[in-house]
Amino acid sequence: MAFWTLYKRELSSYFQSVVAYIVLFGSALAQGMVFITLTNFIAQQNYKDQSVFQIFFTCAIFWILLFVQVPLITMRVFSEEFKLGTIEMLLTAPVREWEIVLSKFFGALTFFLILWLPVVLDQVALQLFSNPPPPVSWGQYGTTALTIVLVGAFYVSLGVFTSVLTKNQIISAVLCFALIFATFFVALQKWQQHLDAFTLSWISYVSLLEHFGHAVQGLFDTRPIVYYVSMTAFVLLVTQRILLGRRLKG
Amino acid sequence: MIEVENLSKTYSGVHAVRNISFHVNKGEIVGFLGPNGAGKSTTMKVLAGYLPPTDGKIRIAGYDVITESLEVRKRIGYMPENVPLYTDMRVNEFLRFRAELKKVARRRIKDRVETVKELCHLKDVGSKIIGTLSKGYRQRVGLADAMVHDPDLLILDEPTIGLDPNQIRSVRDLIRDLGKHHTILLSTHILSEVELTCGRVLVIHRGRIEASDTPANLTRLVRGGGSILLEVKAPSADVVARIQPLPNIEDVEIVLPGTGDWTVAKIFAKPGVDVREDIFGVVRQNNWPLRELARVKATLEEAFVELTQD
Ligand SMILES: Nc1ncnc2c1ncn2[C@@H]1O[C@H](COP(=O)(O)OP(=O)(O)O)[C@@H](O)[C@H]1O
Ligand SMILES: [Mg+2]
Repeated sequence: MAFWTLYKRELSSYFQSVVAYIVLFGSALAQGMVFITLTNFIAQQNYKDQSVFQIFFTCAIFWILLFVQVPLITMRVFSEEFKLGTIEMLLTAPVREWEIVLSKFFGALTFFLILWLPVVLDQVALQLFSNPPPPVSWGQYGTTALTIVLVGAFYVSLGVFTSVLTKNQIISAVLCFALIFATFFVALQKWQQHLDAFTLSWISYVSLLEHFGHAVQGLFDTRPIVYYVSMTAFVLLVTQRILLGRRLKG
Repeated sequence: MIEVENLSKTYSGVHAVRNISFHVNKGEIVGFLGPNGAGKSTTMKVLAGYLPPTDGKIRIAGYDVITESLEVRKRIGYMPENVPLYTDMRVNEFLRFRAELKKVARRRIKDRVETVKELCHLKDVGSKIIGTLSKGYRQRVGLADAMVHDPDLLILDEPTIGLDPNQIRSVRDLIRDLGKHHTILLSTHILSEVELTCGRVLVIHRGRIEASDTPANLTRLVRGGGSILLEVKAPSADVVARIQPLPNIEDVEIVLPGTGDWTVAKIFAKPGVDVREDIFGVVRQNNWPLRELARVKATLEEAFVELTQD
């Protein structure tokens, strides 16, 4: 299947890219610093019911990191191929557009998840070596990990979409950031006054603040799953249509 | 193998290709010849399924380029202009990647990659990173890529551009060799290239096909296929005045208005008529000292200039 061939190439290309390494080290550094700071803070204050984990996934630095990582990962996926002209080689090979779009999407998503591995290691270390161990259950870890994957998938799909629009990586990254920020902005509207119950229920349905808020408590909910999976699928479909349109419309 | 009917391609208002039609039969090596900006690359991009035509119908191996694009792409080996490659990959890795993409059976991949590396003289750079290769090597990696799945049809956009003379010769030999089993459409703006490799030439100019014939016939077409070179000791004006009125003479052109009193003239006759005897008659009558009277075969270059003149 061409998908696997393309996926392997896509993933390995991150490890040839300077930008990808910068993002990788930058993320690990930021994650590590936040982790150490929070651990010290909790140890000093002697909190019993709070964990590093819960604070981390609901703090501002986490959002900033998330919003910056994705555009930097995805900006190149199509833009660079347009710029270098390699898209011509790719599109004249006997591969289907959806195979190209999916391979780029899963390649970027895989790299995105690799960026979060240090946090997993930090948590494992904390779980194993701290006494008493942090008050976090496996359920909480599971729902949080799932939410990271789902939100990551949606944002990565937005990045793949903005990358297919332009051969300029900067424009692609800025557009992607703007779209991601728009989803955050919608979530912030919850604190507006005079909102009716219906609007509020919609805001909480799409609010990633709430999704993470619930996830760190270990609450499993199918609605965010439906929301993120369908949004991701929709954005990828639009991307595929745009790519296909280049071949069909004169 | 290729059937193009009334193909037009417009880039947001710029007419790159205007209503062209041509056929390429199985087993032919056809050269697309034209000056820069003539529309060669555009036509090839449309044939390869990269760009949609603005208008027209194209079938390759019986499949429609737009509606059956995947079938067409399976059968084509396309080398784009300027050979865009993934510069971070190694040659071996890249060729294996492309072979997989082009659905070469898994057990044949190694074999095919070795074969095309052999054919394109890439044996010694297999483990080099493409970004570090010279233009000539990259060109050959592009060529190897185009052939790796052993396609029926090769579409090569300027395959020898940027190569040194030795490399050009080896690519030419390779193309001629491939032509024994494949159909090839190649583009070039170098005349000697088509003369040496192609069975047929399509001359394209300003998006239109100006001629389609064998290189030999094309040169014959131009001013009867040749001219006569005359060098005599006489004033240029006299030479024109005496020779022009002879029967079957189309044109007398002064090449050099004489060193000392010597004049060099180029004389064009009607097709198929040998006028050397008549010219010698004039020379003898006037007692002009004679240095040279020779027939010069027209070159494809002249045909090209004639066809693409404004
Ligand atoms: N992407 C493009 N956008 C606009 N005009 C283009 C584009 N590509 C080519 N052209 C124009 O189309 C014409 C034909 O170009 P091309 O097919 O590249 O010619 P050739 O390969 O024979 O040199 C030229 O006038 C060129 O400027
Ligand atoms: Mg060209």
